[in-house]
Amino acid sequence: MDRSLVETALEFLTNGYLLFVVIYFIGVSLTYTILLVIAVREILNQLRHDKFCNFRLTVQSELTPPVSILAPAFNEGPTIIQSVRSLLKLSYGKYETVVINDGSKDDTLATLIEHFKMFRSRHVYHPAIRTKNVRAIYKSKLPEYRNLVVVDKENGGKADALNVGINVARYEYVCCIDADSILEDDALQKVMKAFLEDEKVVAVGGIVRIANGCEVVNGRVVKVGLSDHFVPVFQVVEYFRAFLSGRMSWQALNGLLIISGAFGLFKKKAIIEVGGYKHDSVGEDMELIVRLHRIYREKNERYRVTFVPDPVCWTEAPETLRVLGRQRNRWHRGLLDTMLIHRKMLFNPRYGIIGMAAMPYFVLVELLGPVFEFFGYVAMAVMLATGTLNEQLALLFFIVALFYGVMFSVGAVLLEEMSFQRYPKPGDLALLLSFGVLENFGYRQLTAWWRVKAFWDYFRGKKSWGKMERKGFSRPSK
Amino acid sequence: MQLQFLILIVLAVTATIFSIVTSIAMVVRKALELGRSRAHARLYQIYSSQVAEFLLIELPALENQPRASDAFRQYESLLSPVKQRLEQMNPSRRRFHRSVLRSVLIDMTQDLTGESAGRLVYFFYSLGFVEEEIQLLQSGRWWIRAQAARHSGLMRARKSITALTAALEDNHPDVRHQAMQALIVLVGVDALSTILRLSRNISQWTAIELSVIVAGFKEEAVPHLIGALESRDQSVVLFAIEMLAEVGFVTAVDPLMNLIRTSRDVKIQACAASALGRLGDERAKTLLTGLLSNRWAPIRLKSLEALGKTGGPDVVKLLTPYLETADAQEKLTAARALATTGVKGLKVLQEYEKRHMDEKADLVRQVLEEFGLEPTHG
Repeated sequence: MDRSLVETALEFLTNGYLLFVVIYFIGVSLTYTILLVIAVREILNQLRHDKFCNFRLTVQSELTPPVSILAPAFNEGPTIIQSVRSLLKLSYGKYETVVINDGSKDDTLATLIEHFKMFRSRHVYHPAIRTKNVRAIYKSKLPEYRNLVVVDKENGGKADALNVGINVARYEYVCCIDADSILEDDALQKVMKAFLEDEKVVAVGGIVRIANGCEVVNGRVVKVGLSDHFVPVFQVVEYFRAFLSGRMSWQALNGLLIISGAFGLFKKKAIIEVGGYKHDSVGEDMELIVRLHRIYREKNERYRVTFVPDPVCWTEAPETLRVLGRQRNRWHRGLLDTMLIHRKMLFNPRYGIIGMAAMPYFVLVELLGPVFEFFGYVAMAVMLATGTLNEQLALLFFIVALFYGVMFSVGAVLLEEMSFQRYPKPGDLALLLSFGVLENFGYRQLTAWWRVKAFWDYFRGKKSWGKMERKGFSRPSK
Repeated sequence: MQLQFLILIVLAVTATIFSIVTSIAMVVRKALELGRSRAHARLYQIYSSQVAEFLLIELPALENQPRASDAFRQYESLLSPVKQRLEQMNPSRRRFHRSVLRSVLIDMTQDLTGESAGRLVYFFYSLGFVEEEIQLLQSGRWWIRAQAARHSGLMRARKSITALTAALEDNHPDVRHQAMQALIVLVGVDALSTILRLSRNISQWTAIELSVIVAGFKEEAVPHLIGALESRDQSVVLFAIEMLAEVGFVTAVDPLMNLIRTSRDVKIQACAASALGRLGDERAKTLLTGLLSNRWAPIRLKSLEALGKTGGPDVVKLLTPYLETADAQEKLTAARALATTGVKGLKVLQEYEKRHMDEKADLVRQVLEEFGLEPTHG
């Protein structure tokens, strides 16, 4: 073949690739900017609105709807008592706590039975959603724990445990949380307000914050701080970006596709209507929300899925890169799984903003973004090596991309600072800003790699959650 | 190529400037805010003691039939040194001092009654805060209007009643809600009729906030709530029904029964049936019994519950056959209703449970357990 023809083809491919990269970069940056602007507006509105709300009234009023809190537990023996006690002390009118022991192999069930003096109840189990076998339902003999229910079931995973909880729940609203999360005292009041203000709301998510470095006493975060380890601090900035910018803006457009499994409040009827959590998905929390959108839009019913930035759920974040890698891998497999299951909705005008904006954003930016980023680095290296790339231009583009990353990280910290200011010290703020800059040099590339690897794992058929290591909340901050 | 360079450089410079300026601004602002909040706290302390002193000073006794203006003259003499000091300050300092003074007065007014409260109201008028709030009620920003409505109520400024009544029809629910609360503070229970007449699409949240205030008026609120049963807005009617049940005054029974007979709204009928149960009046029994054969399940279930709360041997007899129904929800509701009637109802449940050793009595066993009784089988 003619050498010049090969060179022309190579040049054409290179230019085509570069054009794609530039267009993609501009598209993503523009989207992030729009989302950030929407989020700023929404958060300001929310703060102004909250000034006129007396949340304590939800505790006092007879009209406040009761809530069932569902906490699935698997091998949580050492921490289960503290977690349940903290759930029993929330400041809310009428509520019950349903702990679902998902066939734990340790002493989770025995500990609960012994500590809370539980007896086998005659409660009739009517499964509105099909689940694994329920062995027994326990209630407490002690009057102070009358609002505690423990369900013992065969192991079936978190989704199956939550479905059992939904079947057992007495009340019309169910709050799904992780057993090891810490809810703030008034979190339920605040998250319930969204339902009370708009009857079209079927699901509400609350913000999840990172508890590493905070002082926790008796299952309550009493002092907010940053961890001494660098891995959780990077995640604090990431969570700001995901929750305050991402979720806040998408909820404003009624395009929210995920409510974190760590903290979400739902109308029980709505979950049952769509068939409950999908037990064979690694991203069951996202899959449920996408399915809610899909079914409600197919039925042409008016509904809203929303997010409230203030009710806080504290969670323990991974402290090592190894565990964090596993977690990100699982999250990305969950995202991929959900997008594949509901691929019919993508660019389908029948699904309105979900099909035409939210799903394309999640596929092109969140799902494929790491792939483009990772292969961008590889391609750049190859092109530099083969001399097909203008070095100055490449370097400049690289700098622009990094600086934009920095800008969005700073934007996310700015959102937090404008709104909730949970980190009171100027020193903490300066540290968060520095990590917002630093995360673009190494950390971001690493997370991109974990997410790229998730594709490989997914298509190999890996469905496991991966082992999570938790240290527990009892450590005070230094 | 030059254009590409130029675009990239512009992008890089924009991102850099944004990041640097925002970061510096945030850290500086945080530090300044800390200083400002300290200054605010200090000044708050000073004004708090000064206002407390104004309230505690014993003023010379007035004649037997004093005019309001005489008392005002005395109050003005207390306030004039503060006003003079404020006038001597530069505009930004004066603004800051006035905002602190306003928050001190507003915080204090919530705990005071009688002559002391009267003094504070005078201070609000004299310092021009009332006029300011009335003007702010016309602001283009909803949160400023809502704040002004709230402050007008707290300042007990009767001059703002007209503006607050107009605010009941504001486009923003927060403004409407703050105006409602302010009017109730200013006018008392008589404001309820106007509020309920002008209200529309009351959210459950507003209903909860309003319910606490209405419940405070107790039976005084009943005539106004009965009037609201005629509203064309479903949310207003549901709120009125709920509050009539919570206040628990017997004059509500007939209007609620009428409502069930005349309304075609299932939600309203079910809610009214439930309210009748909470009121527990014998007169409602015949109507509730009739509703047990209603075609709408929510009405049937609420009537079962209501009959349980009304109680009596005739109700036990009436509810017992429902234990045989195939509809699990109806059976469970009937069992709970029987248990609510008292000893006789519980005895019926225990006998039923003894008679049926199989799963037919599972729901009855569950109810017995809920009411603290140990079933014999299962």
